[in-house]
Amino acid sequence: MTDVTADLHVCDDWISCKIKDLPHIHALVPFLLKAGTWLEVVPGLDSITVQFDSARISVKEAASVLREQISTGQETAISAPPAIELPICYDPEFAPDIHGVVSQTGHSVESFVAWHQGLDFSVSMLGFLPGFAYLRSTQDMGDVQRLEQPRQHVAAGSVGMIGNQNCLYSFSSPGGWPIIGRTPALLFDPGKTPPNLLQPDQPVRFRQIGREQYDDLVAGLP
Amino acid sequence: MTIRIEKPGLQTTVQAAPFFGHRHVGMPAAGAADCLSSCLANRLVGKIPTAATLEVTLDAMEFTVRETCTIAVTGAAEYVKVNDEAATLHKSFRLTAGNKVRIGPARTGCRSYVAFAGDPSWNPVLGSWSTCLQAGLGGYQGRGLRAGDILEFSANNFPSDALETPVQFIPNLSGHHLLRVTAGPEFTKLEEDSRHRLFSNKWQSGQRSSRMGTMLAGTPLDLQDHNTMPSAAVFPGTIQCPPDGAPFLLGPDAQTTGGYPRVAQVIRADRHLIGQLRPGDRVQLVLTSPEKAQEIYRQKLKLLQPWLGDISLW
Repeated sequence: MTDVTADLHVCDDWISCKIKDLPHIHALVPFLLKAGTWLEVVPGLDSITVQFDSARISVKEAASVLREQISTGQETAISAPPAIELPICYDPEFAPDIHGVVSQTGHSVESFVAWHQGLDFSVSMLGFLPGFAYLRSTQDMGDVQRLEQPRQHVAAGSVGMIGNQNCLYSFSSPGGWPIIGRTPALLFDPGKTPPNLLQPDQPVRFRQIGREQYDDLVAGLP
Repeated sequence: MTIRIEKPGLQTTVQAAPFFGHRHVGMPAAGAADCLSSCLANRLVGKIPTAATLEVTLDAMEFTVRETCTIAVTGAAEYVKVNDEAATLHKSFRLTAGNKVRIGPARTGCRSYVAFAGDPSWNPVLGSWSTCLQAGLGGYQGRGLRAGDILEFSANNFPSDALETPVQFIPNLSGHHLLRVTAGPEFTKLEEDSRHRLFSNKWQSGQRSSRMGTMLAGTPLDLQDHNTMPSAAVFPGTIQCPPDGAPFLLGPDAQTTGGYPRVAQVIRADRHLIGQLRPGDRVQLVLTSPEKAQEIYRQKLKLLQPWLGDISLW
């Protein structure tokens, strides 16, 4: 008898499955949500996790249903949403970790800023907090590491950088990413449908703005 | 029915059932941190178990009522007073216009729940009246309550006969917590002796704790490597271990994904206990299997069924 839980990680009410291919993850999420089996479907960067009602579905049953859904799930074709340009301000107050990041990437602050704006990103994942976006670049971005100890308070709009990823903090929260700048863009607006500014797979570039322009843009937000 | 918040205490929020079905866009669960106490409070005022309650944290809290209404209080409060006269926890009681209610501070445990025999007069957000503090969504204006806030609830016709929680259904609160866990996906990233230490340590709930989570203080754990891992799903009750080796336990407002190794997961049956963890409390983690954990959960629901009916815990 084959073990249906092999290469899945099973807890009592959630199961995590490693999936290497990000477009495959993005295609599976709507498919698994529609299946109606799961309370939550949570994409990760190399995994997909489903939560279920553990009073109704046994661990074995959930594992075998998930395995079947993943193998038979048709890859829904998703067209990438239109590219978006996000303003970013690298003011020292907004970029507490820029010097550490700059030294790890072999740049001066000036050349880092120019280089950062030339990078093409796409949204690899939404999560962590409502509207929080993980951005991935195909270009080599060096090997910046997560902070040894997470910060208790990262400001809303902060742009973080680890490895070949950037992230966007939609709300102020604790966090472990080195912070290199801040965007005034409203990343999550509950009054809108969908409330998220960014969508999975959306192409993203950054455009530098000065501190004054940042302050003006923030003053104009609701 | 209208109430006015006089003293909100440390943190008082409107909490009901968690948000669900939105974790893929980063929406946390929120909801009553000790869902069992919240269900018990709702039972006493004739509400469905997942109805909205006020969650009161550690400190004393006061409000006045502007019309006759029926309320009930459960959880960690040392006492409840109406106009300085003692009322009883786990028993519904009638209030008349002008009454001032004081929910005493928690002596043991951390959170108390106030249920009203009426629903909030405003609309729920994403299907719940719970407060998502990080996003400023839901609950009452997406935030903790402040002095002077006026909350309206629908009028209620709940009979004046008091209901009382049968004694066998009243949770025992203590400063020592046994939390059963299953191994997390990165449990094996811990060094061999740290895997044992996770369960032999007497952990202490940290001073910096919130609905998002609490640090577990104790002899630090050692990870086999400190490489960054790709962010993956976390849930309320997930225990993560950052490179400094001091694990933290995620609460109901936990983010939806995280990048630190997930070494353990508190089982669903025990997750409501996290809501009563107060800074300084002792925590012992006990390893169980996912199958056994499901059995424990089903047994717990069966035990609660005669009083609470068919509920789920979150």
